[in-house]
Amino acid sequence: MDLLFSPSQQLLQQSARAFLQQRCPPERVQALALDPRGFAADLWKEIAALGWPGLLIPVELGGSGGSVGDALALVEELGRACFPSPFIASAVVATTAVSAVGGRRAQALLPALALGERICALAMLEESGRLDPDALAMPVAAPGRLTGRKLFVSDAHVATDVLVLGRGAAGPTALLLPMGRDGITARPLDSMTGDKIFELDFADVQARPDDLLGAPGDGWALLGPAFRLGALARSAEMVGAAQRVLELCVEHARVRVQGGRPIGGYQAIQHACADLFRDVESARWLMWEAAWQLEAGRPDADAAVATAKAYCAEAALRVARRGHQIMGAIGYSEEHPLHLFHKRILAASLDMGDATLHLDTVARAIGLS
Amino acid sequence: MDFGLSGPEQAFADEVRAFLRAHPPETFPEDGTDAGYGSGGHSRAFTRALGGRGWLSMGWPREHGGQARPMTYLLILLEELAAAGAPFGPLSGCLQVSDSIIRNGSETLQREILPRVARGDATFWQGYSEPDAGSDLLALTTRARLDGDHWVLDGHKIWSSHAGIATYGTVLARTDPASTRHRGLTMLMVDNRLPGMDVRPIRSLTGQVYHYEIFMDGVRVPRDWIMGKPGEGFGQLLKGLDTDRFWGRFYKAPFLRRILGLLVEYANTVRSGDGGARRQLAHAATEIAALRALFYRAAWLIERGLPATGEVAAAKVMADELGQRVLSLGMELLGPYGALRAGSPWARLRGEIEHQYQTSWGHTLAGGTSEIQRTTIAVRALGLPAEPRARA
Repeated sequence: MDLLFSPSQQLLQQSARAFLQQRCPPERVQALALDPRGFAADLWKEIAALGWPGLLIPVELGGSGGSVGDALALVEELGRACFPSPFIASAVVATTAVSAVGGRRAQALLPALALGERICALAMLEESGRLDPDALAMPVAAPGRLTGRKLFVSDAHVATDVLVLGRGAAGPTALLLPMGRDGITARPLDSMTGDKIFELDFADVQARPDDLLGAPGDGWALLGPAFRLGALARSAEMVGAAQRVLELCVEHARVRVQGGRPIGGYQAIQHACADLFRDVESARWLMWEAAWQLEAGRPDADAAVATAKAYCAEAALRVARRGHQIMGAIGYSEEHPLHLFHKRILAASLDMGDATLHLDTVARAIGLS
Repeated sequence: MDFGLSGPEQAFADEVRAFLRAHPPETFPEDGTDAGYGSGGHSRAFTRALGGRGWLSMGWPREHGGQARPMTYLLILLEELAAAGAPFGPLSGCLQVSDSIIRNGSETLQREILPRVARGDATFWQGYSEPDAGSDLLALTTRARLDGDHWVLDGHKIWSSHAGIATYGTVLARTDPASTRHRGLTMLMVDNRLPGMDVRPIRSLTGQVYHYEIFMDGVRVPRDWIMGKPGEGFGQLLKGLDTDRFWGRFYKAPFLRRILGLLVEYANTVRSGDGGARRQLAHAATEIAALRALFYRAAWLIERGLPATGEVAAAKVMADELGQRVLSLGMELLGPYGALRAGSPWARLRGEIEHQYQTSWGHTLAGGTSEIQRTTIAVRALGLPAEPRARA
């Protein structure tokens, strides 16, 4: 047992924290959230120059060949800064899926993803709102014509490509399409989280055989590992954000004086802060244990990831919600960063499978019929 | 980041499992109540069996007869024992006291007591709380004065687990009558057989005896049966508090996992198709897994000598409150059967849920209340200012 970050992970965390503190302060996050098209093109270029989108891409394809642990260590920092970007969708989930397919598609796309020149959106959910192969209704065939609708597609306005999972004759089937393909239109949804999410409409869109990602019917199997890594990345993001909420609350409790002493000197506030600490630490190490299981290829890794995602979401949301009570009225104002973290945690808790989906996996893993 | 076991560690886990298969836990007679922490009943026979394998002393330095095995081996042992429901009640006390004797005990104590602990012949009670010194432990009034080669001990301790069936107690007493609060306290090792000891059982709400109160009237304790030097008692207590809390609760996660297994089996047979129960049980499984991860984080810090006060206190709070939630869920699932005691007609799951449900209500009080733990996290780990103390 060794719960130490590797030297390269520590270096990555330190440099990411320093970069994000300087370049992505809460005011910037706030401005991006308020801007309906908010996308930090400058920051995306800068993190590409730092090699972040290429972290999970092999060296020979222009990435840095990092590990799952490297990516999660970085994502914890992204969460800590509440950094809004397509990083998890594009640089973690889509990148993992494309790498898994390999071949010409990977060779063509991965170098551009590593450079941040291309961004891949994920078009998975439909009206049911469930990340579940049985919930897929949109028919997919290649060659063929696509007509249908995907919901909750993040960052479609800046994506160059889109990974579409639909219902094929042989089962769930994945396609990778250029966003500019005729007949694809993105309609913005207005989310309280500040994330830019879209309805993606497909009107008689041409699908060619080489748009297929993997074999027809293999879509769910192909995307499974990518979703698991995505669920862990969202967990890491929530842990990082919850850590920051804990810090904001403790700092506030130290300096906010009422009744002649800091409110952190009153048990009611002390005990609330103690619960935040418990939630952040338990979530963090559960997430890292699941990450280890996944990397080590342990037989229980799927259940461990589901367990971590369900628990991290619950614990991080508890931190955000309790944080509002500790922070008092100032935390209710738009200019205070607390709500940004709360909303980021909320969005992350719903992405890559919500509690219902993951608890179902856990239920099966513990032997419930 | 590596949460796995090394080859020799895995071999040790297999060895413990093989031992438990060859010596089924239920075949050992129990002489004391299971207090529900996850360490099962108090069984001298089982403790001796562990001693016979060399497992009670395996973490000790070689010069004290140990094998200097890393902490991970103890974690493995406790997890396997808890998962099997073995009666290892006295074990955590043995670990705590032997660790303290090795660090602070006189040569006499090391010579007299350690070999008995290693064999499984010595078990311990803690004499900290008093009727008027609970969360405010420093209000204690038990005192000891030096008279020739002995300390003369007078006082009244309470809520001491298994004190009536243990062999020795570690008693915190004021040895400097002029001192106040944390100064002038000394930890004495008291043999239960000494004249002047009166150990009386307290029947708990479960109907069984787990706690005792101890009246000490002119008990003569040999002068060198103390930890460290006179006056160092509180410092030692504080220093050992993190590890005491850790070893007193670490096995709660595997214990709750075992309880959850029973509830899953029950739900599958009696409440199949109950989606609400299914979700509640899966949810409990995630919390138990998180608790285990938090304990492993604390263990990792402790093993490296890093500060772990916040992590250990948080793990204790979580262990005890989660235990109450899991057992409450069990009572809910069992419905009217849940209240039936072991041995009653129609009792389910051997009456275990009922018993552990009741014991769980003591856990958020014992070893420092959850309120004390939260204050500890806030002040010592998060750096919040301590509440002003009321003027006496």
